[in-house]
Amino acid sequence: MPDESTSSPFTQHTLANGLRAVVEVMPDADSAACGFLVRTGSRDDPPDMAGAAHFLEHMMFKGTPRRTWEQINIAFDEMGSFYNAYTSRDRTFYHGWVPRTALEQQMELLADMMRSTLPPEEFETERNVVLEEIAMSNDELSSFAYDFLYEQACPGSSLAWPVLGWESTIAHMDRDRMAADFRRRYAPGNMVFLAAGDVDPDAVLRHLESLTGDWQPADPGPGSPPPALRSGRAARKVDRFHQQAVMLAFASAPAAHPLAETAEAAAAVLGGHNSRFYWNIVQKGLCTRAGCFHDDYADFGLTVMYALCEPENCEAVLEAMRREAENLARGGAEPKELQRVRNLRRTSLASESEAPYYRLNQLVEDLHYHGAPRTGAARLAAVDEVNDARLEAFLRAFPITQEGFLVGVGPRAWPE
Amino acid sequence: MREIIDHRRLDCGLELAVLPMPRRPLVALDIRIYAGFAFEPPARLGLCHVLDEAISKGTARYNGRGLNDAFDAIGAAHWTHPGRELMRFAGLCLPEHFGRLVELHAEMIRTPAFPEDACRVAVELTRQALDALADDPGELARKLLHRRAYAPPLNRHVLGEIDTLAGIRREHLVDHWRRCFTAPRMLAAVAGAVEASSAADVLERAFEGFAGDDPAAKGARPGFTLDLRPGYEHYPKDAEQTHVIMCFPGAAATDPDFPVEQVTLGVLDGGMSGRLFTEVREKQGLVYWVGAWSDQPSRGGAVHLGASTTPENLERTCATLLGEVDRLERDLSEAEVRRAITGIVARARTRGDVTQARASRLADDLFFYGRPIPLEEKIARVEAVTVEDVRAYLLRRPRDVLAAVTVGPAGLKNGLPRP
Repeated sequence: MPDESTSSPFTQHTLANGLRAVVEVMPDADSAACGFLVRTGSRDDPPDMAGAAHFLEHMMFKGTPRRTWEQINIAFDEMGSFYNAYTSRDRTFYHGWVPRTALEQQMELLADMMRSTLPPEEFETERNVVLEEIAMSNDELSSFAYDFLYEQACPGSSLAWPVLGWESTIAHMDRDRMAADFRRRYAPGNMVFLAAGDVDPDAVLRHLESLTGDWQPADPGPGSPPPALRSGRAARKVDRFHQQAVMLAFASAPAAHPLAETAEAAAAVLGGHNSRFYWNIVQKGLCTRAGCFHDDYADFGLTVMYALCEPENCEAVLEAMRREAENLARGGAEPKELQRVRNLRRTSLASESEAPYYRLNQLVEDLHYHGAPRTGAARLAAVDEVNDARLEAFLRAFPITQEGFLVGVGPRAWPE
Repeated sequence: MREIIDHRRLDCGLELAVLPMPRRPLVALDIRIYAGFAFEPPARLGLCHVLDEAISKGTARYNGRGLNDAFDAIGAAHWTHPGRELMRFAGLCLPEHFGRLVELHAEMIRTPAFPEDACRVAVELTRQALDALADDPGELARKLLHRRAYAPPLNRHVLGEIDTLAGIRREHLVDHWRRCFTAPRMLAAVAGAVEASSAADVLERAFEGFAGDDPAAKGARPGFTLDLRPGYEHYPKDAEQTHVIMCFPGAAATDPDFPVEQVTLGVLDGGMSGRLFTEVREKQGLVYWVGAWSDQPSRGGAVHLGASTTPENLERTCATLLGEVDRLERDLSEAEVRRAITGIVARARTRGDVTQARASRLADDLFFYGRPIPLEEKIARVEAVTVEDVRAYLLRRPRDVLAAVTVGPAGLKNGLPRP
């Protein structure tokens, strides 16, 4: 059952029903964390049920054959858990971080929740909660602009709708249809159990087997087809905002692509800490926030340059972002810029290795996109492989000097 | 295992606490200086934010990029924060780079050049950030509540005011730095893989001779008392939701009631079984976000309740928030108190796995208590809290001094609901 290798901190096992489990031993930790990764997100929602994966995540807290929602909430708090769940475009993750002695209880509660009854009597109340969450998100410029970017840049694809869905789809969401979908999406073969801490992995796996061994396998169904990024521009005039969000997107490496780490490094050089955007855009007084990030999925990736600026500065900010992209494409990165990425990653990996909760989130990325857990050393080695030649290859394969897709959201109808 | 925390005042005047954690892969440094925006001249509000922007843009030995490159060369994560009473300079690095981390912080704190251009940009960026506050209704509501409810100078906001920002020049930053940036006004905490005496030596060398002009400042603890002014005000804003935040007098961090208040807040908002989440969100579906928290300046405290909701749900949300606090006096259960205590203790212990959090906690202790408080001592205080303690706390602190603001498309039609 466990790995043969004694040097690996990981123990892996797949139950007969298809549920995969990964346990990482962290001998110096006083706490422990565990969670269920479900490989379904908003991109797996049918278009007329946009937001179903996220709504479903809310409903998972509302009742099981053994517990009401109140009993679930009390159980979490009685064990002193730091717990939550999130839904993204391609996954849902439920997790709890507890004192080491409470790990078995935490596993039992999360496993119970994964077989929720989605109580019909709670559905309307939770619908209102989700509608409030959408209203809150609509008042937040960055999230509004991010959703608008996907809607406009990847039309007709499964990435086009927001994770939360739209008011219209949430208002018409049908509980029974969601329940039918639930059994498929939360099939054990579509899930991974993760745990980290100073734990006995054999004991953890035995406990997991007792909790989930009777889960019935199911066919999770086909995944959504890969999206495509179009070129062009789109504006959304929203008078209630004071600032303008500017976002410029280019196709980039998917998460498991050999150049994915280089894509991260390129984004950091352009728009990370102590970056070109910081010194040549923010520190020129053009805007308070400008950056660049690599947004990746199993089959798709984007390089997104962004800024929040005063509406009259849109042109200057866009010009500066394009100029910096051009300079990177033409001149490559300075050695100290790539070294900075490596150095900072070394410290952040040490930081992640301290707390089981942080490790758990890292393992989610590894399992979801790379299919296997990676040690800190392996992650660092991937960063250390980034060099000038790889950066050049990345910029050739995924150019950032073409038109890209530009969106503007704010009080100004821009770009025209 | 009981923690061994080294606490001393260095010859240079700096107060230091060190928690050696030999098995950790990191060292965290957390420096606080009594130089926050409560110390700004009234005509220069926003000065600390400007100073915070400008202080890393050049020193005696480095230009701005050079200083940041020097931090990056050792892979140090570092950040600054202009707080209400304290300005914060914090960093995290691998143990072998700790000496250099301190050296670079000392360079920035002791010899800032405040280049003219960087100061102008810092003022402009602060002005833009102030304008952008309109797009952050939660933070805007907090600012407006404190402006309305807190007495000066605690009623200020870090971004200042548009007219005071306009007048800030380089010389004002230099004045503030000269007045406030001295070793006797500094608190420092270190946690991680470093020995206490070694950390003390490094900091002593780094800040030797940085005593400032006022020898009496050594050991002095400037501070501000929090006085609350009751009342309600609505600030119209085009938005889908209305944000409501309210506050009433709470306990100071040094008050014997403080652990009782922590437990009370845990009952209200310690998790999803907390009363606010249960009654406002789970039972009525009125909100996505609801919360309760406390705000502690050096002297005094205030309890806050907040939520964001669509206008049609506002009245019911506010009534439920206040109603739930009052209901605690009548039907608080032993189970709720135990659950709140379990949550507080577990959070303290799980966060203990994070070196940076340990340094931050130590620095907080120096600020509030003048000494590091071992984790077990804090936990014992919380674990001693009973149902009767919470009831007595609520009776001693009636909510008749209640202040509130709403920010959004509609306010409360008849003002705040009365308990």
